[in-house]
Amino acid sequence: MVMDVEETGTGLKFPYWNPLRRRFAPDAPFFAAGSIERELLAKQVALDLTEEEKQQIREGVEDWGSSEVFCQIVGCGAYLKSLEDFEDHYNARHMASCSVCSRVYPTSRLLSIHVSEAHDSFFQAKVARGYAMYECLVEGCDAKLKSYKSRHQHLVDKHKFPPSFEFFKKAKPSKRQRQKVLRKQALHKTENASTEMQVEQENIDNLVSAVSRLSTSDSPSSISFGRRHTRGLAFVPRAIQKERRPDPSPEQMKR
Amino acid sequence: MSDETSTPQKRGPIKSPVGSVAVQRRREHAVMVGKERREALMRTKRLCRVGVSSENADVPVEDDMMMDEEQSVLEDQTLKAVEELKHAIGYQGKGAMQKRVGALRELRRLLSKSEYPPVEAALKAGVMPTLVQFLSFGSPDEQLLEAAWCLTNIAAGKPEETKALLPALPLIIAHMGEKSSLPVAEQCAWALGNVAGEGEEMRNVLLSQGALQPLARMMLPNKGSTVRTAAWALSNLIKGPDPKAATDLIRIDGVLDAILRHLKRGDEELATEVAWVVVYLTALSNFATSMLAKSDLLQIIVDRLASSNSLQLLIPLLRGLGNLVAGDSYITNNVLVAGREITVNVIQALIKCLKSEHRVLKKESAWVLSNIAAGSVEHKKIIHSSEAVSLLMRLLSTGPFDIRKEVAYVLGNLCVAPAEGSGRPNLIVEHLVSLVGGGCLVGFIDLVRSADTEAARLGLQFLELVLRGMPNGEGQKLVEAEDGIDAMERFQFHENEDLRNMANELVDKYFGEDYGLDS
Repeated sequence: MVMDVEETGTGLKFPYWNPLRRRFAPDAPFFAAGSIERELLAKQVALDLTEEEKQQIREGVEDWGSSEVFCQIVGCGAYLKSLEDFEDHYNARHMASCSVCSRVYPTSRLLSIHVSEAHDSFFQAKVARGYAMYECLVEGCDAKLKSYKSRHQHLVDKHKFPPSFEFFKKAKPSKRQRQKVLRKQALHKTENASTEMQVEQENIDNLVSAVSRLSTSDSPSSISFGRRHTRGLAFVPRAIQKERRPDPSPEQMKR
Repeated sequence: MSDETSTPQKRGPIKSPVGSVAVQRRREHAVMVGKERREALMRTKRLCRVGVSSENADVPVEDDMMMDEEQSVLEDQTLKAVEELKHAIGYQGKGAMQKRVGALRELRRLLSKSEYPPVEAALKAGVMPTLVQFLSFGSPDEQLLEAAWCLTNIAAGKPEETKALLPALPLIIAHMGEKSSLPVAEQCAWALGNVAGEGEEMRNVLLSQGALQPLARMMLPNKGSTVRTAAWALSNLIKGPDPKAATDLIRIDGVLDAILRHLKRGDEELATEVAWVVVYLTALSNFATSMLAKSDLLQIIVDRLASSNSLQLLIPLLRGLGNLVAGDSYITNNVLVAGREITVNVIQALIKCLKSEHRVLKKESAWVLSNIAAGSVEHKKIIHSSEAVSLLMRLLSTGPFDIRKEVAYVLGNLCVAPAEGSGRPNLIVEHLVSLVGGGCLVGFIDLVRSADTEAARLGLQFLELVLRGMPNGEGQKLVEAEDGIDAMERFQFHENEDLRNMANELVDKYFGEDYGLDS
């Protein structure tokens, strides 16, 4: 606390009452009593559900109606329990995958970094000529390094990544994959990019056109295939509706 | 798992998968997976009092502590599960994915059974590098979710266990990206929250690895448990003591708006987490405080304070309010102008907290009032003429010590005008007379007698006001009547020089040789 000291003629140096605002740091002892419970929540274990909670979920699910969906993308066929999940799944699996090697990344940025570094000969050409092309993986850090190794070193030194971290793992391709790659290289050298894009686009087109044929239900009206920002996927494409069957198998949840 | 095809021809209309055997099998498997996942996706976050260290004698030894036998059985099972997991990495071919997820799930179950999971055993068995492998880009969602869940619980315990997550951190952060499925992202946020909750060192690692941005983005949507988990994790991540993270956070697009929105319309659980984010933003970062002060935050906090009865929510709301008032003069100068409805509302909300049974609410609302009372004369008048004064007077005589101190600050601030220049601040005699008339002198003299230096100082300062400011020399008589002289004389040979000088000066000046001669 700042003390105001006034010197009067009589030499009195009394620190008079001076009204001042008092501010405290978040970890100050002043706040300790109110923070006790909060400190206990600093870490939280994720426990399994109790039987009671499972029951609640089973009952809760009924409110959504049966909205299980099988993803129709070729090679996928994933089972999603709701349309929200379908959208999640679609975004995760079918939107940020490398069209060349089908690696999937959790952000578009990482995908694009991967594509440049792994599949772009122009990128490699610039690297060979000494340009700093390898971007730092941490969003917001605009550092560029000259080699994969030096970028790795930058991550370890500047961003405290563990030395064991590996951005690009050379996967051993399966036989099927290797054959695919060879076939592609032989037949579709320059058409690669546009072909993949075309296929991707066609998938979207098919789904979207299925959507446009559908019947409205009593749910809200926004479609957001392939977009992240809204959770408005509510229309069930008729093609997908066909797949839904009340599955009588015992593993199925009670509805 | 992508849409990559080897033939670029036009695809036919979407085919039905019903009928083929492989598809049937896949379907059954998907049903089973879907069931587990439904539960995993909807599970509730349960409180775990793991923060208390094992040395702390206060740890309740109840039935939730497992018996030694059970614990060692659990540990054996864990060792087995980890070995199984290590083998599962190498599986190829058909059914490999299910086997991997199955092995992960087995470990996850062992780590989720009780509030004291067998983490040490798992780490000793070398589980970490394997779990990191399972987090590779492109892994199926089930795998990522289970791996992140295991990591969450490993990080929920002792410091060295949490720190064991270091190699996994960049991947955990990456999987919170905008392309990740929501349950995976949420589980990663949860794990990250546990790591951030460990301490400053871990926070710095996470921040330097770029954790703030993706986590902040997860707080932007309107609903879902992910928003709440993200807010909780953020509150851990920015809690400092370095203010940089707090400043960075408020600068991210959409964050300020999301904070206001959630505090205004979120349910109590979400609002609680966001309120804590506000607490740290306002306590650490001047920039953030200034931005928040100029927004609608004050009104929103006040409305929520008035309408809620959840102690969990009231505490951070009140503290955020207190930090705003304490941290930025904009509030007292420009927002809490006399006559405005907001000013009335704030005082009302503080009065509600003063009336509460909860010690923390009483203490911290008194603190906020003391800061408002440190403002303009108008502010002092508003408080002085409100219900607050009678509540404060009562607390001064009957409340616990720490509350009495805060009350002292309020009352004293009410009696002194803001200092002009470097001169001695002027008294507001009217307030002094009324408060002394209400009987507060006893309380202040008690503070003088207390062992606490700060409290004694406050008491002496207030006595000086009384002695100087009460009209007609009444002050001396009143102080004497309440044994004030005695209380001051105790400091004559006190070890604290400051207090000694103060007390002696007062006694010399007001109770010197001339005292009592003309009465």
